[in-house]
Amino acid sequence: MIRRTQHLSEERLLDCYLNERDGVVVDPRVAEHLTDCAPCGKRYADLAGFMDGLRSEAETEADAIFTPERLRAQQVQVARRLESASRPSRVLAFPGQFARRAFNVSTVRTAPRWIAAAAAAGLFVGLGLGAAYRWEIPAGHAVVRTMTARSVPPSPSLSRADGSQDDEFMSELEVALDRPRTRELVAIDAFTPHFREIREDTTPR
Amino acid sequence: MSRDRRTVLDHRADSDPALTARAGTAVRRAPAPALAEDSRLAVDIRGLVERGEMELARERFGELVGLHQRRASRIAFQYLRDAADADEAVQDAFVKVFTHIDSYREAWPFAVWFTRILINGCLDRRKARARRDRWFVAEASASDEARAVGRTTGADPERALLARERRSRVAAAVDRLDGRQRTVFMLCHYGDCTPREVGVMTGLKESTVRVHLFRAVRRLRALLGGAP
Repeated sequence: MIRRTQHLSEERLLDCYLNERDGVVVDPRVAEHLTDCAPCGKRYADLAGFMDGLRSEAETEADAIFTPERLRAQQVQVARRLESASRPSRVLAFPGQFARRAFNVSTVRTAPRWIAAAAAAGLFVGLGLGAAYRWEIPAGHAVVRTMTARSVPPSPSLSRADGSQDDEFMSELEVALDRPRTRELVAIDAFTPHFREIREDTTPR
Repeated sequence: MSRDRRTVLDHRADSDPALTARAGTAVRRAPAPALAEDSRLAVDIRGLVERGEMELARERFGELVGLHQRRASRIAFQYLRDAADADEAVQDAFVKVFTHIDSYREAWPFAVWFTRILINGCLDRRKARARRDRWFVAEASASDEARAVGRTTGADPERALLARERRSRVAAAVDRLDGRQRTVFMLCHYGDCTPREVGVMTGLKESTVRVHLFRAVRRLRALLGGAP
């Protein structure tokens, strides 16, 4: 016997409810306790009331939607689907306007052959042209380079390697970059002797 | 899944008149289809299909549909909360059962096999609907619900409204359950399945099913405040 001081847990109450519902024999000690212990009996009644309430609510709702007519219609629909599923598949007739066009065996077979031949010819021509193009360009370049080397005489200005031209170039650069863009560097720039000034100083007058 | 409700409650009802009414409610439950009968029918249909007697097989299958469609519709509706969806899910399940009847083995009751197919279909539909609802606004089948409420509560609009609110509260609470808890609760409570049968359907142990069911009930009572 389960002592009264030890009340039944919620799990045991739910088990008891399920067993009762499913027609399984309930543990006699639990049954006895439920009969004797008022608080447990009340908890059990609350639980069972809650569960049965949920259930009856759901049943009422479903029964109102799935009326006998609707269930009958569902049954008919199932039967129809089964019948159509068991029937062999039907081949749909081709539309008349296309069916009237005569496709004989020779045209159907020769068309792909022509396509294949044209593709092969195109490929061959493409490869040939591509190869010729690739060979010609380096050869052309070489010829041009040789011709340039032979025909253009050496420029006297290029061949003259005196430092005056370099100086001019450097001066131009310095003029271009005369003013430093950063304000903080202006002072440093003022103290730095410029190439142009040095040259002017050293140039014999 | 038919139940004999000779019980602890009847014991208590003898001594406690307050419980008598509740016991009466419990007994009002609709009897579930006989297990042996549907399994036997399924075996017969399988034999007919194997022999190529399709016409007769379809005819017998109609009987099987009649035995299970009410319960199936109830389960599918509780899962999907949409009458049209539930209708289609039930039809699909029956068609699938017939086309795969050769794989039915009588080791398990037909109801278990069928319910498993139905639940899988319902879960697929729920997933598809969730995907669809991500992109489109969900369309509520208000007409079905309104019709249902009107039928159950007669012409009283107040009662109709209250019933509608109560149902939507219960549905929202059930929807808030964890996926496994929801499945177990629905199968056990709305589908008339024992924890053992639910275990077979879901691949869980019976004790695990009981734990999930207990948690689901506890959560539902917390959400609904002890009364549906």
